[in-house]
Amino acid sequence: MIWEVFRQEQAGEYHTHCGNVHAPDREMALMFAEIQHGRRKPTNSLWVVPQKEIGEVDTEEANFGGTTDKSYRWAQSYSFEAAAEEVADSESEQVQAERQRGDD
Amino acid sequence: MASAEQLPGPNDLSDEEREAVETLLFRLADDEFVLAERYTEWQVRAPTLESDLALANIAQDELGHARLWYDLLQDFGPDEPELIWERDPGEWYHSTLTELPFEEGDWADPILRSYLYDAAEEIRLEALEDSSYARIRNRVGKVQGEEDYHLEHAQNWLERLAEEEQSRERVQTALDRLWPHAQTIFAPTDEEVEERIDDLGLRTKSLAEMREEWRETVVPYLEDLGLSVDAGGETDLPEVTGRNLSHTDDWDDLWEDFTATYRELGREEATRIMKDPDEVE
Repeated sequence: MIWEVFRQEQAGEYHTHCGNVHAPDREMALMFAEIQHGRRKPTNSLWVVPQKEIGEVDTEEANFGGTTDKSYRWAQSYSFEAAAEEVADSESEQVQAERQRGDD
Repeated sequence: MASAEQLPGPNDLSDEEREAVETLLFRLADDEFVLAERYTEWQVRAPTLESDLALANIAQDELGHARLWYDLLQDFGPDEPELIWERDPGEWYHSTLTELPFEEGDWADPILRSYLYDAAEEIRLEALEDSSYARIRNRVGKVQGEEDYHLEHAQNWLERLAEEEQSRERVQTALDRLWPHAQTIFAPTDEEVEERIDDLGLRTKSLAEMREEWRETVVPYLEDLGLSVDAGGETDLPEVTGRNLSHTDDWDDLWEDFTATYRELGREEATRIMKDPDEVE
């Protein structure tokens, strides 16, 4: 049985996927994950999840974010004056995220 | 047991005190070193990648512990080659449990051996927490910090191996073979020196007390798993105990193996790649 492993480097951060382990049950999976995924990198906490319990949807089935122009989602679409610094920052993050989706 | 006064540092011990400290350290260091040597034989041969990594990691821990104890023996003069690579095989104090070879593919053996050893290790480290010799006392916590995993690892495996008849029988076969050798963990080196170790407060429990505590822990645990333990008295001890410098023939082969490279390369000293433990404490 395969268990996907998620590692959190510091308290409060997200657990991010880092690999998997073969183990017959949760207890053994945690024990193996501790060595295989926690011994060399900074680790505060590990999660193990049975691979078959993970749901997935990918680009074959979904158009993430839609296919039409959604610029009304951007805060500055509604602004006719110079934007506050925080708004501009937020917007540039969104623009960057949009680019990473490959829509530009 | 005499009330324990604090012993001075390594340079101010009497000859008798020094002999007691050295003997205690050799018991600890040699056990860890030799068992780690055996564990590493499972590298790339364990049943799965995960179990391979876990046992290799445990071996690395034990080597690290051996290093902490050998380092304290270096306080008295000998260097690493004299303590390990050039020491005659007839001058090693480890328990015979640590030196026995594994049957090929018999995973039940390293698991059971680790359980028997680590359950004993837990008890003997507790008895060093209040050692009258500060150099030992100060390093106990660091070793204990890595031991919990070893015991958990062994028990998790044992409980699963004991669930089915075929694998339980393999554990039973290993138990019948290892049990007498496990008794040597608490066997004396020289009776008089062991008594001195207790009287000086170097450890706070005698070998007999620790052996009793260990048996009260492991016998019921193994029986609950459906295993039968032939729990005799002192007669359990095999003819060679390791502690009294007598060893099985397998030890000579293992010693030849791990010292071969040192001899073949004509070495006279050991390369240091890590900081002295005192610098990182």
